[in-house]
Amino acid sequence: MSPRRVRLLFVALLVGQLFLVAGQEPDRGSAGSLLEGLTLRTLGPLARLVNAGSEGFASAREGLRLRGDLASENRDLKREVLELRRRELRMAGLEEEIDGLSKTIDFSRRQATELRIAEVVHADFSSWLRSLILYVGTGAAHVNQPVLSDDGLVGRVIRVSGAYAKVQLLTDRAASSGVQLERSRRQGVVRGSSPGELLLDFIPRQAEVEVGESVLTAGIDGVYPRGIRVGTVVSVEPGNEVFHRIVVRPAVDFSRLSFVYLLEGEAVPRELATEEEHASP
Amino acid sequence: MRLLKFVLGLGLAALLHFAGERLFPHFSQAVDLFLLVAALEARHGSPVSGMFAGLAAGLLADGLSGGPYGLAGFADTAVGFGIARAAQQLVVQRTTGLAAVFAAGAAAQQAILAALALAFRDHAELPDPLWLLVKVGTTAALGLAWTSSANAIASRLRFRRANRATKIQLPG
Repeated sequence: MSPRRVRLLFVALLVGQLFLVAGQEPDRGSAGSLLEGLTLRTLGPLARLVNAGSEGFASAREGLRLRGDLASENRDLKREVLELRRRELRMAGLEEEIDGLSKTIDFSRRQATELRIAEVVHADFSSWLRSLILYVGTGAAHVNQPVLSDDGLVGRVIRVSGAYAKVQLLTDRAASSGVQLERSRRQGVVRGSSPGELLLDFIPRQAEVEVGESVLTAGIDGVYPRGIRVGTVVSVEPGNEVFHRIVVRPAVDFSRLSFVYLLEGEAVPRELATEEEHASP
Repeated sequence: MRLLKFVLGLGLAALLHFAGERLFPHFSQAVDLFLLVAALEARHGSPVSGMFAGLAAGLLADGLSGGPYGLAGFADTAVGFGIARAAQQLVVQRTTGLAAVFAAGAAAQQAILAALALAFRDHAELPDPLWLLVKVGTTAALGLAWTSSANAIASRLRFRRANRATKIQLPG
């Protein structure tokens, strides 16, 4: 190939990729989905293999170390199961009671959402682009599906390919979520900031915000339902004339995630979302 | 044969990347094994294979990151082409020169990624200068180590082959 053709090919490749990148912004549309899906399907099993090997090695080592304690741990766990069953029965009773009370005041409660477990096979939380790759198994995930851990909100699914899904972490610079402060009920928007932190915007200066206050999802962004723990306020400073500058520490330690939960059900019913898209001003 | 080696190299890079991430959470900030594989391929001096090696390695790296798909693909294509062109023009034999080629490739990749992130993302965040230096250093060190050991193995094999040839005695 002549040097001129090589240069042309080089420029064409670069321009093509620029179009690929530009076509995805701001909502990560379908431009890269075919190639990205292919990459996810190729690398996902490899990541899972390494993950399984590492988990197996760790659990075998842990098993050897804890062999002596297993009997007593088993006894404790059985006792805990009994206690949890007792509590579950009590909660079921309380739920029925609340349902009854809700009906009497003609208040329709939202359908309880279901959680589906997914395995974290790769985490890229430390670089300036933060994401997880999940193995979701046979039941496919869907884009914008909220992802939680035991401690709180993790992020949302941004790409699905076969049994694998890519998750944008809450700490990603491009991520944001509608939230509210637990005590004052003031609503704002939380977004990814410097590594491991979140910034809470649009809380007015006259609102009293305390360090240590919990931040929960507000259920106003059409993605995350209300009441999921997002983090804790770690500093409050006067940002500008109107709003505070509030730094929030995420409730989830992203470096320790092995399993997460996919939240089934939609924050905004599909019919409403479609109506909204077709609505004209 | 070289294509097979490259594909195997990418597979090995992916496995080591996943294992590294499990052991050391900042692994992806400290090392870019996909770029290393592309740079090693580009070092042979063919700009076409250099740019396609960069493209493949970059798109694989993109698949693992949360950013727009194609950022690392763009950067690695440019780096692969650049290294191949440099290898065509310069004969780099000395250790320092070789290390400089890998280091320059890693630094150029980070600069291109930062420029693209600023252009395409609303709240772009530049890479930490300390981790940038670490990545440049590790890429240079790993590239140098791989090249030196590959050269050593190749020369030992050549020596063994030559030795075997001299030992062959013709009958009579």
